[in-house]
Amino acid sequence: MRWFGFGFNAFGQICVHNELSKDEGRDTVSDVKIMNPTELHRNVDKSVCGRNKCLKTSQIRASWSRRVWLHVDGDSCVCLAGFGGTSVVDSSGCTDTVLSETHLTLAFSDRIESWDLQKKEKTPAWSMEIQPPTDTSGPPLSLPLVPGGYIATKPPFYRSLSPHLKAKSLALGAEHAILLSATGAVYTWGLGSHGQLGHGGLTSEEEPRAVEALWGMPMKHVVTGGWHCACISDGADLYIWGWNESGQLGLPSQSLRKGHKEESSQQAADCQSASINPGGKPLEGEKDKEVFISIQAFPALLDISPSCEIRTVSCGSRHTAAVTATGDLYTWGWGEYGQLGHKNLISTDEPQCVDFFKEQKLYVVDVVCGPWNTFTAVGEEEVKLS
Amino acid sequence: MTALWSKLSAVLPPNEEEFPLQFSDKVESSVVSVLQQSRRQLYSDATSTDRTLTAQIILDLSWEKLNTGTWRDVDKEWRCVYSYGCLFKVAALCREHPSADEILQGIRTCDMGLLMGAAIMDNVLQVLVQILQEEVRKSTKEEKINKKRKINKLTKYAVPRIKCPSLESFKSDYLLPLRPVILEATADHWPAFNEHPWSVEYLRSVAGCRTVPVEVGSRYTDEEWSQTLLTVNEFIDQYVLNRVSDGAKAVGYLAQHQLFDQIPELKEDIRIPDYCCLGDGDEDDITVNAWFGPGGTVSPLHQDPQQNFLVQVVGSKYIRLYSPEDTDKLYPHQSSLLHNTSQVEVENPDTERFPEFARAPYLECVLQPGDVLFIPVQHWHYIRSLELSFSVSFWWS
Repeated sequence: MRWFGFGFNAFGQICVHNELSKDEGRDTVSDVKIMNPTELHRNVDKSVCGRNKCLKTSQIRASWSRRVWLHVDGDSCVCLAGFGGTSVVDSSGCTDTVLSETHLTLAFSDRIESWDLQKKEKTPAWSMEIQPPTDTSGPPLSLPLVPGGYIATKPPFYRSLSPHLKAKSLALGAEHAILLSATGAVYTWGLGSHGQLGHGGLTSEEEPRAVEALWGMPMKHVVTGGWHCACISDGADLYIWGWNESGQLGLPSQSLRKGHKEESSQQAADCQSASINPGGKPLEGEKDKEVFISIQAFPALLDISPSCEIRTVSCGSRHTAAVTATGDLYTWGWGEYGQLGHKNLISTDEPQCVDFFKEQKLYVVDVVCGPWNTFTAVGEEEVKLS
Repeated sequence: MTALWSKLSAVLPPNEEEFPLQFSDKVESSVVSVLQQSRRQLYSDATSTDRTLTAQIILDLSWEKLNTGTWRDVDKEWRCVYSYGCLFKVAALCREHPSADEILQGIRTCDMGLLMGAAIMDNVLQVLVQILQEEVRKSTKEEKINKKRKINKLTKYAVPRIKCPSLESFKSDYLLPLRPVILEATADHWPAFNEHPWSVEYLRSVAGCRTVPVEVGSRYTDEEWSQTLLTVNEFIDQYVLNRVSDGAKAVGYLAQHQLFDQIPELKEDIRIPDYCCLGDGDEDDITVNAWFGPGGTVSPLHQDPQQNFLVQVVGSKYIRLYSPEDTDKLYPHQSSLLHNTSQVEVENPDTERFPEFARAPYLECVLQPGDVLFIPVQHWHYIRSLELSFSVSFWWS
């Protein structure tokens, strides 16, 4: 499985900055904003990591300033890159990782460990033991889910979850969370001020609340972005809701169009429209104007034309990326750091295919977004998703 | 070095060592490293592109933090980071022979820092924006303001008027019993009526290129209501003058904005009413807001948690007041967001949905320039401007 990355690279988390750039006067912008999908290289120091063959399965997670690459084969190997340099974490037996701006969390068969990335200590900041699962019928829980609850991004790390939710997967945004139950039902909680909970309003929820609009449609995959959520149904349809200020929902965004019209590429459009779309139908603007949506408070079905089955989806802070069953990658939303991979720095509210992979005849199998960048795995069609 | 940059850099620390950058643990070390990079670039031979790029990273990241959680929970540290981002961006924009447009962008950036950030380095953004403003001050044509005064028709429901009452009589007759009253001749001494009479032309000259928040839409309870950011010039051009009289174009209102913190020059034209000393708090606890807009702006019937002196400076407003004792006839919204706002359109009530409203007693008035209306705490009030209007409100406790 080969990985490509594009977008925010100020800390070398996609690829290390060209050390010659300062002398040659090369443009720093192209170091910081990677517009073309660039292949990730495994650690140069092969003797430490011990890998030089193409691995079948590996996992990437990204925070704002770092990226972690977990190679899961035999003795697993965790490679960290970005702010603070490149390093290999002692981690044989690691099966899963989660990366936040402050902590790296590793899952092993018998324990979970959280390492504080801002301090160079020899022991994890926090850890807990877990029992190997007695019920081996289902697939193992993936982080941040752990038996009985989940691991949060800030203390208290362990938070319990009611067993009646039958949590199968969980995704955490900065201030909200989305949970997929074994029955295919979706629950959300946290802050709702931008419609990111999908209950039709702007109020927050302290406890997991079912997204009723999706009732009766089992989902198989749920993800969060900064202020939005996306999920894929068993029928491979993509549903999306939350804030659309940069077109991250793939719906017409007024603030995006205004930004393109008025300003040069350096200024972000700071206009924040408070127009809410509770009923799922577009707002009525003036008669001869287009209809815009700045907040989509109920899930909306997003058709990525031409209509196709969605295999997986991931969200950054303000952008979204989806992989189709035919091996194409589509991206949309905020693009000012190159995170959409369309060889420019333009944000868009219309899902666009990332031509690079088609041109290189690469078959996309997975996508993982950091807040301001995107990582894509290409490989053989039979490979399982990480 | 350009003349402009020498003025700007004189306000900044002389070198990297004397430029403070201290943050709590809430600001991650990766973010601090970018701030340090910007500081380095400020005093080195970095290119304008590089400086702008680094500043923009700080702005983009802190903007996300400012939009995470509720506004009042946003850590002040992140607002400081945002202000530093604005500072570095302004320095990048205005360093090397900036064009007129770049200077305006610099002013806008300062304003974004003043509006959304927190004061840093002795409110350096305030100082920088005034330097930049001087560079763009331009003469404007005389705007004739309609000074027609409307006669205040006496109705039996008129808000009582009284001229300069003593502190004691105001307190015993109106403040303690929470009775509305219009204090005449109380604001007559303001420079806004004397040395610097406020007019559209005066506002343009003092604040024309400053960016302010504007509410667009007939009232804040409407679905189409939204907020946007415009310069004062743009607001005046688009929403105050050149308005289509048939009302097809949306109403714009510079409402509930602490303009006088943003533009100290205007603050010098107003005075805090003496009667505020009857309250519990300090002068610093008094919230002063500007309300500037064309005829037809509407504030729907609502109540506020503090006492209010509403001073009319330019133009006139129709105001209706209902006592909190009659709240049961005013049908407040149920949601927590709008619980202080009535569902009833005061001048066009739906008598089927709100049958009791017609039975609620009220007081009304037309507030003229120089009038000061005392709106007691929790007293319901509805306000519609009758012409171009500028009011100043003082919220105190």
